[in-house]
Amino acid sequence: MFSIPKNAVYKRVSRRKFLELGGGAASALGVGSMTLGLGSTITRSPVQAASSEDAKWKQYAGSKLVFMSENTPPSFAIRDNIKAFTDLTGIEVTILTDDLPVVQQKVGIDLRGGKADYVLNYVQDKPIGAPFGEFYTDMTPLFGDSTLPQDPDGYGDDAWFENFLSACGRFYTEGKIVALPYDCAVACTFYRQDLFEANSKDFEAEYGYRLEFNKDSTWQNVIDMAAFFKKAKEAGKDVPYGYAQHQGSFAWTTQLDIQRFLFANGRWMDWNIDDVYGSKDPGKTNWGDDSSIAMLTKFKELADVCHPDNLANGTLELNTVYQAGNIAMQTQYHEFAASIEDEKTSRAAGGKTAYAPCPKGDAKWIKNGGEAVNGTNCGIGGIGINGNASEDLKRAAYIFAIWSVSRDNQFNVLKGLGGTPTRKSVLEIEEVKKAQQRPTTMPNALTFDAVYNYGIKNPNFVLGPKIPNANEYHSILAAEVQKCLSNEQSPEEAAKSIQGQLDELNGAG
Amino acid sequence: MTNASITLAVPSQKGRPALELFRVRHIPDSVESRPSSAVVAEPTSINPPGSKRYYFLLMAPAILVLAFISIYPFFWMIYMSLHDVDIGKVEWNNFANYLKLPSDTRFIMGWALLVQYSAMCLFLQIVIGVFLAVALNGSRFEKVLVTTLLMPMMMAPLVAGMVWYFLYNGTFGWYHWLLQSLGILGPKSILASANTAMIGIVLVDVWQWTPLITLITLAGLKRVPQDQLEANMVDGASPVRNFMSVTLPNLYPVLLIAIMLRFMDNFRFTDSILVLTGGGPGNATKILPVYLFEVSFKFFKLGRGAAIAFILLIVTIILGMLLVRVFERGQPKKG
Repeated sequence: MFSIPKNAVYKRVSRRKFLELGGGAASALGVGSMTLGLGSTITRSPVQAASSEDAKWKQYAGSKLVFMSENTPPSFAIRDNIKAFTDLTGIEVTILTDDLPVVQQKVGIDLRGGKADYVLNYVQDKPIGAPFGEFYTDMTPLFGDSTLPQDPDGYGDDAWFENFLSACGRFYTEGKIVALPYDCAVACTFYRQDLFEANSKDFEAEYGYRLEFNKDSTWQNVIDMAAFFKKAKEAGKDVPYGYAQHQGSFAWTTQLDIQRFLFANGRWMDWNIDDVYGSKDPGKTNWGDDSSIAMLTKFKELADVCHPDNLANGTLELNTVYQAGNIAMQTQYHEFAASIEDEKTSRAAGGKTAYAPCPKGDAKWIKNGGEAVNGTNCGIGGIGINGNASEDLKRAAYIFAIWSVSRDNQFNVLKGLGGTPTRKSVLEIEEVKKAQQRPTTMPNALTFDAVYNYGIKNPNFVLGPKIPNANEYHSILAAEVQKCLSNEQSPEEAAKSIQGQLDELNGAG
Repeated sequence: MTNASITLAVPSQKGRPALELFRVRHIPDSVESRPSSAVVAEPTSINPPGSKRYYFLLMAPAILVLAFISIYPFFWMIYMSLHDVDIGKVEWNNFANYLKLPSDTRFIMGWALLVQYSAMCLFLQIVIGVFLAVALNGSRFEKVLVTTLLMPMMMAPLVAGMVWYFLYNGTFGWYHWLLQSLGILGPKSILASANTAMIGIVLVDVWQWTPLITLITLAGLKRVPQDQLEANMVDGASPVRNFMSVTLPNLYPVLLIAIMLRFMDNFRFTDSILVLTGGGPGNATKILPVYLFEVSFKFFKLGRGAAIAFILLIVTIILGMLLVRVFERGQPKKG
């Protein structure tokens, strides 16, 4: 059937030779892909302070960098637009994205293993920055390096929103800056004003005040609203549940839920430590005191009238519940407004949703003498440079870092996929100012007033706690609070259990 | 006397390598004559007799590879478990990683949940797997059905976890809707309650790995002697009696393998649980391997993680050996 030439290749290559070639090729492929495919490489053309700006941007042309990031809008948008950076610098950047817990594990192994497979990292403040802060490069010497390109807007605290630079860049000390604010997720309230209006009369008849939400609405109001909707739903009325939270598989989201609630009521915090820089030695925790037990009791009261899937939903899932029209209100991170306002995927789109600051504490509940505030917390994601990398790799990575957080880039991301700016100057752009009112082409901008003008301002904003054992602290807190919400233990037992475990964790027992 | 017993019945000779015992060197006169093909003739040896060095050289590459990928990490794990481990810092800590474990409630609870999880998975998989194998054995559609059944096994556990996560989802999950429509579930999704989350993760494991039990059992069923089954039926035994007294004893060896595989797999399993619940709600599904993963790769307490891993390994080995003994006792005696 087939004609085989006498000098066919397979006849000229002996079996032994074939195996040798095959083995060699496989080894080369393996080693090659490991060294070139993943790792960063560097090529350098020396420049001086007097060199042109173009030469400074292009001094590492031909280099390759790897950036490990969370799957957030800026990373997708920058990946889509990476050609602009390569054209500007000649540097190729591979942007790998994954869920935050996976990013945390990958960069953790890389950093603690003394490697620099990921020369650029997404430094989410508490889960990544707090445990690994010391493994990142101090950027402050690079800010003043005249042989590197610099951002005309600068990198000082004033260039960013209040406390953002400290949130993701400073860990346990003021002098060292290990990351620049890349994106942010700040909590605020999303609520269905169409449902609120439709049910206002019934609510008022039962609770004696109007069903509306504003910056003075308290957590007690939220409990009332959630109870009202739940009761109506269970009575067969065509309404969704009133409220839901994110206490699913990722412990950090549960910690943030409970933190907002406790901070709102007397600015209660887990430890008496500096909230901006954190502490390597936090000492004894405040868990177990009267305030924590009372607040946990109220928190359980709220959970009992929430959507039943609180303990299975993380941030994304909770947002899906809201998008599906299954709840009337959620405290959610402002980056999700873009998906809520997408009419193709959301029943809450089309002007049905309004945005407000996080609920305020209730003065009657407060036991520690503190004030009632709109407790607002966040995840500020920075971009940092792996401290294990070579000096030239660090410099090349710095060029990408400052480009990625530049005003123009943040504006483009906001216009494109729905970013969350960290530079103040982005909000000064006329187009962004207009976008904060409906109709808008930048849905995230609808949250900006609640977030940037209110939530992140003192006394509402809580940044920490930054401690080296942040991830174990999140895990302990989430597990004990979830057990309390599942009726496995009382609020007092939960608070005491958290106290015991945290004090042991930090050697303060 | 069987062929195997001929081989093993050869008396050991002083000074001979143990491996040589497994060669057929001598066929006793008492052995009845067989077709010549059934008797293993002594191979012409190319090895100098008794050359241990030659055997060692042959095994050396495998030993080196094994040492590199298994033995070295094993001893490194033990070393780590005795120290506080961090980048550039390894400090002896007076067995602190081990001494703290008895007071670690998450470690103790992890064991309890692991036993519960493994027992539930094994029981359901064996019962359903054997039932399916018996039902499929000799069926007209055996090959098609077996191929179909094997599909879950071909899926990566992590992907299986994600698929089931969506199926269980309280907002759009099809299984959630089904279970709720049947009145089995209340308003809470299966993973949202500490009471049902364990069932949720067990069902995923049962779905994915029962086909393995079916496959192994099916192979075992082909070896059940038909003459014994027929003789039993002639004696008036019912199908159930036939299964219990003939089929099941003959399945012991294969079931042993199946149970061993699944038991050891469950004792190191984390993949789909991490996706489905992350160990929650509370610690309701935080079986020990999940806690071990958390300690090592979320908290980066590598010394503590190594101590947990070492204890888990030792317990797995001991339980594995006990399991083999139990099944050896349960096997029908031959001869």
